[in-house]
Amino acid sequence: MKKALAMLLALAMVFALAACGGSTAPAEQPAADKPAEQPAEQPAASTGGELAGTYDITVWCADAIVDLTKKQIEDFNASNEDGIVFNATVEAVGEGDAATQMITDVEAGGDIFCFAQDQFARLVQAGALSKLGVQASQTVSEANDAGVVAAASIGGELYAYPLTSDNGYFMYYDKSVIPEEDLDSLEKLVADCEAAGKYFAMETDTSAWYIASFFFGTGCVSEWETDADGAFVSVKDTFNSPEGLVAVKGMKKLVDSDYYLSSSDGAGFDSGCAIVVTGTWAYETVKGILGDNLGATDLPSFEVDGKEYHMGSFNGCKLMGVKPQTDAVKAAALHRLAQYLSGEKGQMERFNAVAWGPSNLVDQADPAVQANPALAALLQQNQYSVPQGQIHGSWWDIAKVIGTDVENATDEAGLQAALDNYYASISALFNMSEEEKTAWSVIGGICGTSWDTDFPMTAAGDNVFESEVLELKAGEELKVRQGASWDVNYGADGTIGGPNVVVDADGSYIVRLTIDGEVGTIELIAQ
Amino acid sequence: MKRYSDLEFLKLSKGQKFLYKLQSFFAAIPRAIGRFFLAIGRLFKNIGLGIGREFADIFNTFKEGDWKTRVSFLVMGFGSMARGQVLRGLMFLLFEAVFIFYMVTAGGYWMSMLPSLGKIGPHQEYNAVLDAYTTAYGDNSFKILLYGVLTMFFIVAFIYTWRLNVKQNKIAQEYLRSGRRLKSSGDDLRSLVDEQFYKTLLALPLTGILVFTVMPIVFMILVAFTNYDGSHDGYNNALFGWQGLANFRTMLTWTGGGGVNYSATFGEILTWTLIWAFFATFTNYFLGMFVAMMINKKGIRLKKLWRTILVLTIAIPQFISLLYVSKMFAKNGIVNGLLLNLGWISKAIDFWGSTAHNGLLPRVMVIVINIWIGIPYLMLIATGILMNIPADLYESSRIDGANAWQQYTKITLPYMLFITGPYLLTSFTGNMNNFNVIYLLTGGAPTNAAASGAAGSVGYTDLLVTWLFKITTGAEAQYYLASVVGILVFLVVAVISLVVYNVLPSIKNEEDFQ
Amino acid sequence: MNETLEKRHMGLKASRTISNTLIYIILIVMSVVWLIPFICIVLQSFRVESTWQVGYVVPQQWGWDNYKALWNSDFKRWYLNTFIIALVVAVLQTVIVLCMSYTLSRFRFKLRDGLMRFMLILGMFPGMLTMIILYRVLKDLGLTQANAVPGLILVYVASSGMGYYVSKGFFDTIPKSLDEAARIDGATRAQVLTKIILPLAKPIVIYTILTAFMGPWGDFVFARYVSFGTSAGMNVAVGMYSWLQLDQIGQKYTMFCAGGVIVAIPVTILFMCLQKYYVEGVTGGAVKG
Repeated sequence: MKKALAMLLALAMVFALAACGGSTAPAEQPAADKPAEQPAEQPAASTGGELAGTYDITVWCADAIVDLTKKQIEDFNASNEDGIVFNATVEAVGEGDAATQMITDVEAGGDIFCFAQDQFARLVQAGALSKLGVQASQTVSEANDAGVVAAASIGGELYAYPLTSDNGYFMYYDKSVIPEEDLDSLEKLVADCEAAGKYFAMETDTSAWYIASFFFGTGCVSEWETDADGAFVSVKDTFNSPEGLVAVKGMKKLVDSDYYLSSSDGAGFDSGCAIVVTGTWAYETVKGILGDNLGATDLPSFEVDGKEYHMGSFNGCKLMGVKPQTDAVKAAALHRLAQYLSGEKGQMERFNAVAWGPSNLVDQADPAVQANPALAALLQQNQYSVPQGQIHGSWWDIAKVIGTDVENATDEAGLQAALDNYYASISALFNMSEEEKTAWSVIGGICGTSWDTDFPMTAAGDNVFESEVLELKAGEELKVRQGASWDVNYGADGTIGGPNVVVDADGSYIVRLTIDGEVGTIELIAQ
Repeated sequence: MKRYSDLEFLKLSKGQKFLYKLQSFFAAIPRAIGRFFLAIGRLFKNIGLGIGREFADIFNTFKEGDWKTRVSFLVMGFGSMARGQVLRGLMFLLFEAVFIFYMVTAGGYWMSMLPSLGKIGPHQEYNAVLDAYTTAYGDNSFKILLYGVLTMFFIVAFIYTWRLNVKQNKIAQEYLRSGRRLKSSGDDLRSLVDEQFYKTLLALPLTGILVFTVMPIVFMILVAFTNYDGSHDGYNNALFGWQGLANFRTMLTWTGGGGVNYSATFGEILTWTLIWAFFATFTNYFLGMFVAMMINKKGIRLKKLWRTILVLTIAIPQFISLLYVSKMFAKNGIVNGLLLNLGWISKAIDFWGSTAHNGLLPRVMVIVINIWIGIPYLMLIATGILMNIPADLYESSRIDGANAWQQYTKITLPYMLFITGPYLLTSFTGNMNNFNVIYLLTGGAPTNAAASGAAGSVGYTDLLVTWLFKITTGAEAQYYLASVVGILVFLVVAVISLVVYNVLPSIKNEEDFQ
Repeated sequence: MNETLEKRHMGLKASRTISNTLIYIILIVMSVVWLIPFICIVLQSFRVESTWQVGYVVPQQWGWDNYKALWNSDFKRWYLNTFIIALVVAVLQTVIVLCMSYTLSRFRFKLRDGLMRFMLILGMFPGMLTMIILYRVLKDLGLTQANAVPGLILVYVASSGMGYYVSKGFFDTIPKSLDEAARIDGATRAQVLTKIILPLAKPIVIYTILTAFMGPWGDFVFARYVSFGTSAGMNVAVGMYSWLQLDQIGQKYTMFCAGGVIVAIPVTILFMCLQKYYVEGVTGGAVKG
């Protein structure tokens, strides 16, 4: 019969739909005002008793510390006095992977997860990190070093717990190949490697993280500004400058060598390397290969036009984040655990197990920590390092190109072209066309957005601009701004930078802006 | 160009013949494209006419129908049940009930939200007692779009079924009027394993394709018209909404969003994608054929051994073999180590990192390694085909004094080309979308400096598909942009396929093969 | 006269010997090139003295350490997952593909041409992007993370109808007169399929089972979405892929080699045993489109 196929098809779909969609009741939430008001008063110290209970959670951390983290959570269960019991599944998810996964689907991500600092802004923007409470913020800021606290903050507020302060790089070398007296000069080191037929490995082809070393050495900066939501708004970048040119000239000295290798793999010592620029995580591997021949020290200096420049570095950290929760009790309990795992005891245990350099100030002063050769070398290098603040995610892709560009350049013009190319791409991140710069838009805590979306306005006459029809609710606030920036914006009283316009009653409105000289009048026209 | 009659054609010299064939091939391309657009036009016209006819028929059915038929317009299946076809009627009724239930409980909501993709975003709340922040979530744009699309599918299915139900009544009425017997439920069931057997066979596969292939593609196309990305994921950070054609403008104008030249990047990657597909297809094709001929040559022993060794690359999963090979050719990998030790080179070769001549070396490398992966398939296929060529063809040509090369160009190659024409086309388009080889070998490296501003860090060996993947996993996870790239890839593949299809001599009539 | 014939014969023989020798040389060189990577993987999997990438091939110290380490890791779970997926998919996908291809080869119905054209067009969309959507659908069905195995099976099987080309090509080569004769004898269409066609289609059935079985072992992009960081739901490709990432390669490189060997063994053996059918399948069907 004719219908069977259609029927079966349709029925199968019904079941699929019923299974997926039926149970999802639309959430009715009161409209959001401006996001996240800061609490005015100091919170009443909670006794913790209300947190008692058993929680099933997932924790994502690096493969190396899975077993340790399991043990630490058991310790927490046994030691806390609030009756909190975590039934935790600990998964090995690499630090880079964790961020990508979280951004793909926050809901399915780990309740607590570890990640490297460069992913931080991206995660805040993706809504994957829940803010620390007032007390937790205070404790964490006091206990850890200042650079790390800054790395975990946006808009002056902490969003993550510092785990380490060792995400920097320095130089491992093979003592049997490299003489001690050459360690301070890039030129001599390159010559030593060439003479011995061994490689000098530094990952400048594929990683902006390492490329920056040369630029920081000559005093260049790349400082990025974010707004409170983690969105980047501006940058101060001096890579394309006379100092920048000096930096790429120094880099050219290394990458032009026949014995230069673009790699940061500590195992390189087993396949022909004499020097590898990498971080503390490679220590065990290098130790296993070189044994007593292992040397670790700060990066060398390079010489351009008779002047010495000591190579700089990034100084970063690993962080631990808590996924946003809908249940305040569970959120508080998770933060309690994260604080425990990232605390003084937790960091020290991690140092003992896998030699991760602590960010906790007490742990940093520990003699055992100070005696670790890799951490000592990192500390040496730290005099020349730059704290890795919040950096635009695209910067890594843009800046890494300098590496291959410099390698291909044949003369100074080529080097300069590499910097020009870089600068053009960086500025493009914030550039707008003339049209976009002068366009007006409505922005506010309206239509489900929270001061992060511009609703475009079109000209409806001379100096009159109108938005599309917007569904507004009573109590919602909005403003009108130009060029999607706050430089020129109008509010309720018609002056630039005036107070927010507040909606009186629910309804469909057109927002109209009439500009008369300096005065911009905003009207809400009900439809 | 001058057209030759058959007789004139036969008189041409070999070179002229080839030239003529080539000319006809290219001359046919504009016509093929023209035919394609004409066909689309006809399609729309036919759809329009068809809809008109349907409406007229529905109206007539109602006008001429008895009361059973008329009730069926509202209560589906009523007519069938009243006329004794209980099973049919029940199916119709059940379907209607489920549809109404679904639309009331969930479908209506999803449809109503579809135009806005959500109104309320998430926001944070502070719990002062516990000193903890929580997030209160609002609408979910992703789900709205997803279930909105599913609901639309469902509505279409309902309309179709309702139409069947109406038609059914009309037919039944006519049957009864002319005194014929209606099919009983038993007849219906029996026919499902006999003349209607194809419906039974297709039901499950097609349902699967509809839900797990068609629906995602529709969704993907719609995403290209939104601003869905890492910081507008529709639920956790901000809602996403409709953007019209803005994303296509970004991709196709010379200076799109933020001054990045996407169309130049796209053009560059597309060019390499086509070059890659060409070489990957034809190197494998001809080399595979030669290997097959060598192994099958009379007098060569251990045929099975050679074949078995070669097919190892098919048997072993690519993520093992390709990942391993990519490590072997690393700058400090085994290959360089060996060459250095032998003294054949004085400096390690940077197989994957060399950017000289637009990354020529890595590009050649991926093509060469693809040969390693691809030859065995072609060898197997060619073996089978070569064995099917009648042996007396070769015998008689040898008597005529043809040498091996002549035999190859006159007999083997034309035969192979004729039979594998469609296969060549599918393997060309397959190679355009060959994610595994590129991703596992190079991951797209080395980085292309000129395209650094474009999303996802473009490299010289990146194909459009790997770029698309990188965009979604890149710093900003711009799904909307990836979606636009996906649509453009489809257009390129579709145009190539259609043109080749219309020009290719075989394939025209599949019955020829039977 | 006799002599000249003899000479020509000798000449022919000589040239044949030369060309055969040449072919042998080429084949031997190719075999070596084809085998080297696999030999390297096997050798490195037995290396004990270090776990990272090295510049030499032959281990200085041999042992089963890497295999023991595999046994103590989650690899067992991943292996079992993949094996279950491969097995179930092999059965279900074969059923679906055969239904599809047999129907399209034997029946002539109204929407047949439209259907085939539609599927051809569908196949031109890059599947990469639809993965995120399929992932979300599976998530809503509760078939991700720890439940990834049924989820993956569902998606692999559900979309397998698209791959009907090869076996349709094979069915096209079976003469239709066989069906008609049986129909005249009173067999239903279903009986024709099970009693007449399927026995004749043994090569293509085995070919389909084989390819369906081999597919799941190599999927890492989609399987990675679906397992979403949960070890219990990973397949071998997803799990082992992370071993070659920067943070683990130093400790897990030789384990990757060992895992590769363990994964390759059953698939390769199966493939080698069924090679004959594979060849018949591809040549009988693949070229017809």
